[in-house]
Amino acid sequence: MNVIYADNNATTRVAPEVVEAIRPFLTTEYFNPSSMYEPARRTADALAQSRAEVARHFGLADPSEIIFTGCATESTNAAIFGVVRANPNRRHVITTAVEHPAVLGVCKELEREGCDVTFLGVDRDGNLDVGEFIRVLRPDTLLVTIMHANNETGVIFPIEQLARLTKETDPSIIFHTDATQSVGKMPIDLRGELQNVDMLSFSGHKLHAPKGVGALYVKRGTRCRPFLIGGHQEEGRRAGTENVPYIVGLAKALQLAAEGFLDENTRVLGLRDRLEKAIGERIPHIEINGRGAPRLPNTLNVSCHCVEGESLLTQMDAYGICASSGSACTSGSLEPSHVLRAMNIPDAAVQGSVRFSFSRYNTDADVDRIIEAFPKMVANVRRISPYWDQEKNAPRLG
Amino acid sequence: MAWEYSEKTKQLFMDAVHGKPGTHLGEIENPDGFGEHGSLACGDAIRFTFRVRRHPTDPTQDVITEARYLTFGCTSAIAASEALCTLIEQGGRTPIEALKITNQDIVNYLEGLPRQKIHCSVMGAEALEAAVFNWAQRRGVDLQSLGVDLHADERAEGRIVCKCFSLSEPYILRKVRELNLHTIPEITSAIKAGGACMTCHHVPGGLQDLLDKTWGTGKPQLKVLPSLPILNDVSAKPVDEEQPSLSTYQFGKKIEKAVDQYVRPMLRKDGGDVEIVDIKGTLVYCRLVGACQGCAHAGQTLRILVEQTLKEMVDERVRVIGV
Repeated sequence: MNVIYADNNATTRVAPEVVEAIRPFLTTEYFNPSSMYEPARRTADALAQSRAEVARHFGLADPSEIIFTGCATESTNAAIFGVVRANPNRRHVITTAVEHPAVLGVCKELEREGCDVTFLGVDRDGNLDVGEFIRVLRPDTLLVTIMHANNETGVIFPIEQLARLTKETDPSIIFHTDATQSVGKMPIDLRGELQNVDMLSFSGHKLHAPKGVGALYVKRGTRCRPFLIGGHQEEGRRAGTENVPYIVGLAKALQLAAEGFLDENTRVLGLRDRLEKAIGERIPHIEINGRGAPRLPNTLNVSCHCVEGESLLTQMDAYGICASSGSACTSGSLEPSHVLRAMNIPDAAVQGSVRFSFSRYNTDADVDRIIEAFPKMVANVRRISPYWDQEKNAPRLG
Repeated sequence: MAWEYSEKTKQLFMDAVHGKPGTHLGEIENPDGFGEHGSLACGDAIRFTFRVRRHPTDPTQDVITEARYLTFGCTSAIAASEALCTLIEQGGRTPIEALKITNQDIVNYLEGLPRQKIHCSVMGAEALEAAVFNWAQRRGVDLQSLGVDLHADERAEGRIVCKCFSLSEPYILRKVRELNLHTIPEITSAIKAGGACMTCHHVPGGLQDLLDKTWGTGKPQLKVLPSLPILNDVSAKPVDEEQPSLSTYQFGKKIEKAVDQYVRPMLRKDGGDVEIVDIKGTLVYCRLVGACQGCAHAGQTLRILVEQTLKEMVDERVRVIGV
């Protein structure tokens, strides 16, 4: 049975072209780019070229503004802790309640270290209130760190507007965005519409490069201490021998992504919209989370009332469909999705949430199979649910 | 997270969701025992019912003949419900004998459960207890006189505060003191209380009340927010030496008045308008609306018309920021 992979916001299949680009650096071109001999020059060149390509992808002229890291989580940690350590005179940080744990966790750690952190809420569709954002900006605000697109719902925040408002209010406030879900899915111009962004984090494995490589954009002049110390690499801003093969892969993946933007925003969007419509027609008592906000073209987050998401994942798994859920049972902790809770979605609907996320490798046939199978699976577990009898006769829950 | 379910667990789950013959999905009408445990908010819940073959004279000799469940929950919660019913129906047990089935028996029947999923087996055992209690009431059996006291723990330990994890007031109070817990997140990390549905956080008698009871109320001090430096300038050096310095409120009023008098009439002529989103110090955040919204000249309108007017009429340091 073919596996239908609809969990591309979790990770993606490595593109065959990326594998080919990486291969020489795993076999013959294994040299340390810092070494002095001639063969090492080739790896150093590949590294420099990859850096230039990544910079070009974001419209940057200066490749040294790109620092390669091990993952997006490393990038966000490096950005946030680095800025806080470099600027001890300011202690206020603004973020949102729906960030990825790689930012949320760091911000909670900052609170323990004595920073004052404002967590902005969102409305039922997942939108931020721009007026509230303006209100919480303070004279001692050091850093704003707000994600570009949400991993669970795909909701896109108005980063262009937020960064501009930040800089117009006080140019010394540093603006960081976690763009892990948006890089590769939409064009990002750091000298154009996002010119007010000072720092941007992302990783390779969300855009068909391997796991284990990420990057951090740091605008020249941004005050930031290094996170990994103990080497001259990356101009002393991230010590440790560069992961040349994966960096080459990341550059290749970004190039492929740029070529695929049209596909992403037409065909992939079409797959998502078709699934969303079909599910809405075939399954009663559901909600599409984030429907009223701008969303990534590939993401569908649906809540099915009266069922628990993990019991849907197990059935889908048996049928070869890979997706994910915001239910507490899948999180490994006690808590269901903090994102859906922040959107004030009723508990019953959070527990029954399922996320489908597509990529360029998904086909119409994939969507057909999900449309055929998923409604039955929901019906199966609703039959077992002690709540379904009441709910199905009620107009709406919550 | 990928759970390591046993084949047995997966099989029981798949049989149940497909309603295979021999599974125990459903609810018995007019049951002899009825019990529920869990809630939607907790993420899992079971409704458990059973029927007995009634003994003509001695209800304690009733034998369970049929057991059914309805379960809201994950794979293991549904499989554990199936396991519970199967175990109960095996071997013709009386309800009191059925109580001997522990969550460990359920785990064994499932050939193991991931550690984080043990609560799914506990849930079944809890629902069974509740159903047996219900049966005893219906049949006039005095469980206590038989040496079975289902609510011993609860009575000894007092009122349940966190319903999701069944944690009582005396227990939580003891842990708050023992582990020196001062905030609700600390309580949740330490003993799970308040970690799921969170409804017990701020209700009367909830976690916050227990914290206050232990450590005193210590009302949080209102934080004094530092004002923008630019605003301090306003109060330190009034524009007009003759005039007293303006408070934030007065300054805002003056801005609004100037916008009403001089800016709005001009914008409205073109079918537009301006909304003041916020004022911070001498920064005025405006949003153009109506016909002005998205107009190619919006930037100029804000800078020239709005900002210049406010500079002239209110304070030359005013800066307008378009939202």
